[in-house]
Amino acid sequence: MKKIVLLMLLATSPAFAHAKLVNSDPAANSNVKSPSMIKLSFSETLEPAFSTATLTDGAGRTVPVPRSVGGATITLLPIGLKPGAYKVNWQAVGHDTHKLSGSFGFKVIP
Amino acid sequence: MILAIAAARGLYFAALMLLFGSAAFEVLLKKQLPFVAPVLLPRRGMLLAALAAALVWFALAAAQMADAADLATIRLAATATLFGNLFVLRVAVLLGLLLLPARRLTGTAVLAAAALSLPSATSHAATASPAGLAATGTILDAVHLLTCGFWIGGLAVLIALFRRKDPNMLQVLSLFSDTALVAVLLLAMTGMINIVTILLVGNHVRAPVYLAVLGAKLALVGIMLALALVNRFALTEAGEHPKIARNAVIELGLGLIVVLLAGLLGQLSPVQ
Repeated sequence: MKKIVLLMLLATSPAFAHAKLVNSDPAANSNVKSPSMIKLSFSETLEPAFSTATLTDGAGRTVPVPRSVGGATITLLPIGLKPGAYKVNWQAVGHDTHKLSGSFGFKVIP
Repeated sequence: MILAIAAARGLYFAALMLLFGSAAFEVLLKKQLPFVAPVLLPRRGMLLAALAAALVWFALAAAQMADAADLATIRLAATATLFGNLFVLRVAVLLGLLLLPARRLTGTAVLAAAALSLPSATSHAATASPAGLAATGTILDAVHLLTCGFWIGGLAVLIALFRRKDPNMLQVLSLFSDTALVAVLLLAMTGMINIVTILLVGNHVRAPVYLAVLGAKLALVGIMLALALVNRFALTEAGEHPKIARNAVIELGLGLIVVLLAGLLGQLSPVQ
């Protein structure tokens, strides 16, 4: 029985007890063609009311984009991003009410 | 902020563990040893402490989530988060307990168990469980809290019986030893699984502060277990009741410190 429980724990992806960013598309510091979707995946289910992400351009101006928060994912839907550097700032709150925040950049190429 | 939430969380759990454990052990006493007069610990004080701690815990957690402490934030946290929804439910259960007559021990035990275990759904054990196993983490955390509550609350009843020099102490001690042993085994088992889930799965750097607090908690639990074993296998046989009573007081004191440390662990990040 103990072996089965341990196997179940080890066979699945681990979590961190706080909502941490585990993956993003585009990836941090990547060069991509103008994306139609920016997807941030976290280590645990988020509280949509207190989790968010914003997009800023190279000059630090906020780029207005529709966003949605569902499950362990925050999705931004940019339209026609021009070539240049961009930064995604995120804030994630998990069911445990703990908040983590961070940012990553990517570059849009022609 | 972290210390204030940890203190409120610890106080909430301590008050409800005493309430649940004392009521549950008294239900057991009533069934197994009906000739022992009920103790009925001061329930209203524990309930008001739990209610005040719940309110402070929720207000601080809402402020932590939003970086704001206005009414709109509080309302949003109460209605749009799992923690907030469970908080509303917990307050309803606590108010129900306030209305329940003190002699309704089974009702008290059931409602206190609900209020004690509801936060398990937002615990580290639940949120750190691998995908699809959050319910398992919730149940394990709830069992951990309830068995700890039975141990601590049962000790409080035991101490009260010692203080009034109850003539049936030998039978009471025997009943407590047998049932607390099962509770402690379940407590240790669920605690170990929680540690594996929160800390040992995955290749991450563990947070030193978390490890230090966990180490202190485990050390104190080790002392509590040693005292319980001395009571069970040395002093009970020898009929050394004053020493058992003294050890029970030390065990209860250590248990309450352990609960406060658990309150702090719930606020610390296990990994860096």
